[in-house]
Amino acid sequence: MRITDLEKKQGDFQMRIDSLVLKSGKIHGIIGGNGCGKTTLCKLIMGILEPDSGTLDYEGLEIQNITMTAQRPYFIQGSVYENICYPLKIRRIRPDEQKIDHWLSRCGLTEKKHQYARSLSSGEQQKVSMIRALIFDPELVMIDETLSNLDPENLELFENVIFDIQKKRKITWLLISHRLAHIYKMCDELHFMHGGTVLASGGKQEILFETGDERIRRFVANEVIRMDGSV
Amino acid sequence: MQFLKEILDTFFSDVGVFDAIFVTFQLAFCATFISSVLGIFLGLLLERARFVGKRVVIRINRTLMGVPPVVIGLVVYMILMRRGPLGRLNLLFTVPGMIFAQVLIITPIICGMTYTSLVSKAPAIRTFARTMGASPVQTQCLVVRELKRELYFAVVTGFGRSISEVGAVMLVGGNIKGHTRTMTTTISLLKSQGIFTEGLTLGILLLIMAFIIQSLADFFQRGEKTDENY
Repeated sequence: MRITDLEKKQGDFQMRIDSLVLKSGKIHGIIGGNGCGKTTLCKLIMGILEPDSGTLDYEGLEIQNITMTAQRPYFIQGSVYENICYPLKIRRIRPDEQKIDHWLSRCGLTEKKHQYARSLSSGEQQKVSMIRALIFDPELVMIDETLSNLDPENLELFENVIFDIQKKRKITWLLISHRLAHIYKMCDELHFMHGGTVLASGGKQEILFETGDERIRRFVANEVIRMDGSV
Repeated sequence: MQFLKEILDTFFSDVGVFDAIFVTFQLAFCATFISSVLGIFLGLLLERARFVGKRVVIRINRTLMGVPPVVIGLVVYMILMRRGPLGRLNLLFTVPGMIFAQVLIITPIICGMTYTSLVSKAPAIRTFARTMGASPVQTQCLVVRELKRELYFAVVTGFGRSISEVGAVMLVGGNIKGHTRTMTTTISLLKSQGIFTEGLTLGILLLIMAFIIQSLADFFQRGEKTDENY
């Protein structure tokens, strides 16, 4: 998809993206400090927010085939199973019980199938929200820091899930995360955002290690120092 | 039914208690039903609509939530009286006239409570629905489904207000025995006649009946889980 001359003002925050191309079938990463507009961009792509000006060319992609998961996912009143079935229900797709059970088993949630979704731990909720987002085979998946609460083992599980899906049918992913190691491992392309604009787009090596932009270098250095300090 | 009527008429003075009970619940159910439809619809509309003066409308609605029923009763009386704008409908001193008055009292309550719940919770539900690919109609259905507990509470509050109301029904209904007399206006009459024991008994009977209806409504609401992980 192609974003051109996009502008959106929300209170004091002003977003302006001259050009951003999300090549289909690739895993894209968006990095940047807090409040730089990553989530706003996802909401604009999702159609939750209307741009003030500019164009979003979906290039044939239907909005029904785009999904987004949030850092703090919302759960409808009901069980894990009911939540997973919700996107299928609104598309009038009959739930494939085997597929649902496979996903739950792979994520270690088989026992929780009929548990009230809001009673799960935050990590489990994030896993359910990922299953719910993937169950209807979307074409574009935006993951807005949803995996941030997962422990390394479960993070790796979802990294493998993403790679497996990519092997079977190439879909487009937009990952937002502050975990640079995760972003580096997963993404084909990176986009660095700062102050409501996309400062740089390109290959991960190029953006993370070969950039001449001081703001990107500082951001990467800070993240690496933080990682070194915590490990 | 006739047996129950005889028992009540034997126990209470000749004030038409059986008919008063019937009128009370007929009034409460009809007024609550109409007010629920109107109030929830207006609450949804108020939350979604963006227009100049919205804050003033919200403030007026909140003021109407606490308006004294006797004031509404007087206004409705003036509207329905023979020389009033709706005088030719002959609704004064009738149950439909009383329902009309109660709808004006209860609708702002249900509308206000609906609006308050929606303002705090609907945006997150709408965002979620959009991320799942729901259409506008499916989104609105989900909002109502997710807020059913809050809407149920608003309806129950409206019902409680209706069943306990005395000022407006007294003015608009005229407390006519066997016709527009309700349990609350009967209690008021018994008090004016100095028959306190019967008045108190009728009050307790009213509470018990309200409790039974509340319990039945709660029974149908069962199944709601509250074990959220905070």
